[in-house]
Amino acid sequence: MVTEVKRVKLTSSEGTEFQVDRNVAERSVLLKNMLDDVGESDCAIPLPNVTGPILTKVIEYCTHHKDDPPVSHEDEFKKGSEDIDDWDAEFCKVDQGTLFELILSANYLDIKPLLDLTCKTVANMIKGKSPDEIRRTFNIENDFSPAEEEQVKFENDWCEER
Amino acid sequence: MISHHKSHKRKSIDSSLNDNFFKKHKPSNRHPLGIKPWGNYYLDKINNNNDDDINNNINSSRESGLGIISCLTDELILEILEILGLLSTKYLLSIAFTSKIFYCFSTFDELWKKIFIIEKCYNNGGNGNWKWKGNWRLTYLKNNNNHIINDDKNDNNIIISEDINNDNDNIISDDDNNNNNIVINIVNNFYSDILYQPILYQSIRMDNQFISKENIDKCSNLSLDEFNNKYAKPNLPVIITDLVTKWPAYNKWSMKSLEKKYGNIKFRAEAINIKLKEYLKYLQKNLDENPLYLFDKKFGEKCQGILDDFWVPNYFAEDFFNVLDNRPDYRWIIIGPSRSGSTFHKDPNSTSAWNAVIEGSKKWIMFPPDICPPGVFTSPDEAEVTAPFSLMEWYLNYYKETQKLKIKPLEGICRAGEIIFVPNGWWHMVINLEDSIAITQNFVGSHNLLNVLQFLRDKPNQISGFSSESWPNREEIYNSFLEKFQQNYPEVLKELGDKLDDKLDDKLDDKLVENKLNNNNNNKPLIWDKVKCDENETQNSFKFGFFVNEEEQ
Repeated sequence: MVTEVKRVKLTSSEGTEFQVDRNVAERSVLLKNMLDDVGESDCAIPLPNVTGPILTKVIEYCTHHKDDPPVSHEDEFKKGSEDIDDWDAEFCKVDQGTLFELILSANYLDIKPLLDLTCKTVANMIKGKSPDEIRRTFNIENDFSPAEEEQVKFENDWCEER
Repeated sequence: MISHHKSHKRKSIDSSLNDNFFKKHKPSNRHPLGIKPWGNYYLDKINNNNDDDINNNINSSRESGLGIISCLTDELILEILEILGLLSTKYLLSIAFTSKIFYCFSTFDELWKKIFIIEKCYNNGGNGNWKWKGNWRLTYLKNNNNHIINDDKNDNNIIISEDINNDNDNIISDDDNNNNNIVINIVNNFYSDILYQPILYQSIRMDNQFISKENIDKCSNLSLDEFNNKYAKPNLPVIITDLVTKWPAYNKWSMKSLEKKYGNIKFRAEAINIKLKEYLKYLQKNLDENPLYLFDKKFGEKCQGILDDFWVPNYFAEDFFNVLDNRPDYRWIIIGPSRSGSTFHKDPNSTSAWNAVIEGSKKWIMFPPDICPPGVFTSPDEAEVTAPFSLMEWYLNYYKETQKLKIKPLEGICRAGEIIFVPNGWWHMVINLEDSIAITQNFVGSHNLLNVLQFLRDKPNQISGFSSESWPNREEIYNSFLEKFQQNYPEVLKELGDKLDDKLDDKLDDKLVENKLNNNNNNKPLIWDKVKCDENETQNSFKFGFFVNEEEQ
């Protein structure tokens, strides 16, 4: 006997409607709580903070991960250490703007694994780079005066000393 | 004959208490780096006479300082930095160099605290060989020769052997202005509530209004019968004032004396291990909003002679979990600075507890089992509890509300030399008003035996404190305990007889009732069938903030 899969309607900020399976939507804790409260309903859930293209990506992620086990407390402590798997890595190969939009949306929708993944991607973009390279990657302006730069460098060195 | 010292509402608490609460903090509103809270932004805007040029400057300094990352919230930026730091703190030092605002983020002490603790958690709390260096950032950096790099494909963490012979205290000079040893006054026009928060909390006083109410009974000369009739059986708290003063510990123990005797022994502070003498340094000099709390369950075994300095008061002599070979955790030494404490919780497994203050003082606020405190949210079966992590946050936001309730909480201050009885099932929250040393034990006596049995049987997923090696299947605990208990105290269950049936009625099968009736006259252990329990999805181990798994001590 085929279990009827429930569908859920979501509306992006531009008003575009998306239909997804309920279990996919529930990867978002925000949506899960809303759906639990609302129960059976034909209404679309408006997501004014999420644009269509970003919502598409988010749905793509949630669909791929729909059967993942639920997040537990212990995962909190594994954030730094686990490698990103291939599918996730490909998923994150997007322009910077999109990447940051994904972070904001994952945060808003409360999808912790996606948030961790995207944050880790940004961290990977920073790691190993010199301050100058980091600045160029993210368009950061160096506003230290030469004296201040000296101070910071001195402090860094002092910290690194035993 | 009991004498009651029922405290009248005091108009003003010892001013010394309030002073002690803040003796380590020199409250000032200035963040050493010049960071301001967002509230100031609006004031500054007005003060600039709505000069658009200046205001645009303010807006753009965050943008230029963070680049494209400025589209994220401060919290998200800290998330990223935390992940970055867990890969290697070297990267945090690099990004600190990029701009002043990133410098502010990268030197945020709570960030380094989190990274430090998480890394220790990877190693079951660490080997405890680290030294406190005044703040978390320095502590991290000074305790690692290089930086631990965690993203090697080979998965070999390059862990530095910590130099235990290096005993000269490299504590940074006590320069008030240069407290964190960071470059000061570095930013103008940078507003961040989250980075400013530590300054904000430092200056919050533990107001008189929060501590002046004391309506928990205070007694001395209490007979065992009186205690049982007035407090144990009705399940009400009481503070007993003439007991702890008789313990050798009361006169012998102090921060100094404990350090002298046990300073090199490693203790457990929440999720990490630390030498007592280093913890005491931390206690003296830290600016944490939620200070690390030393809570050690193995102090009896680790510290020679310490158990001779106190005894379990006769009121609390019953200790039925004693029948178990692998009994759950039951006694702790608690040491913590002022401001530290525990948010609202119920003690595990429906046990009752006593908490004796040897030095210092604790403010207690308690709610009866059926009343959920304001600001605390639980799932229907209380498996999940959400409460503000910060104690002062709770006081600021919710205390006033409690005074307007129909059923008000019981409150009191337990001072040095006093001991409080915490009846099973009661919600309680504790904050140290001064740096404190205390001992606490949890126990099962006649007064709460039935509750404990019911808890073990019906909420096995919420059972905590039992080692998972010795007890891989929590559902067996109930049967094992009942069996052992029958062997050791057959009269007790018999005496409770009817009450037992009534109590356990909700979940009892008919078959079991029959069994009980048939077995009534012999002393054979009654093995209750496993009764199906409610479905609990989550496991809630007894934890505050950063407790990971106390079993892994």
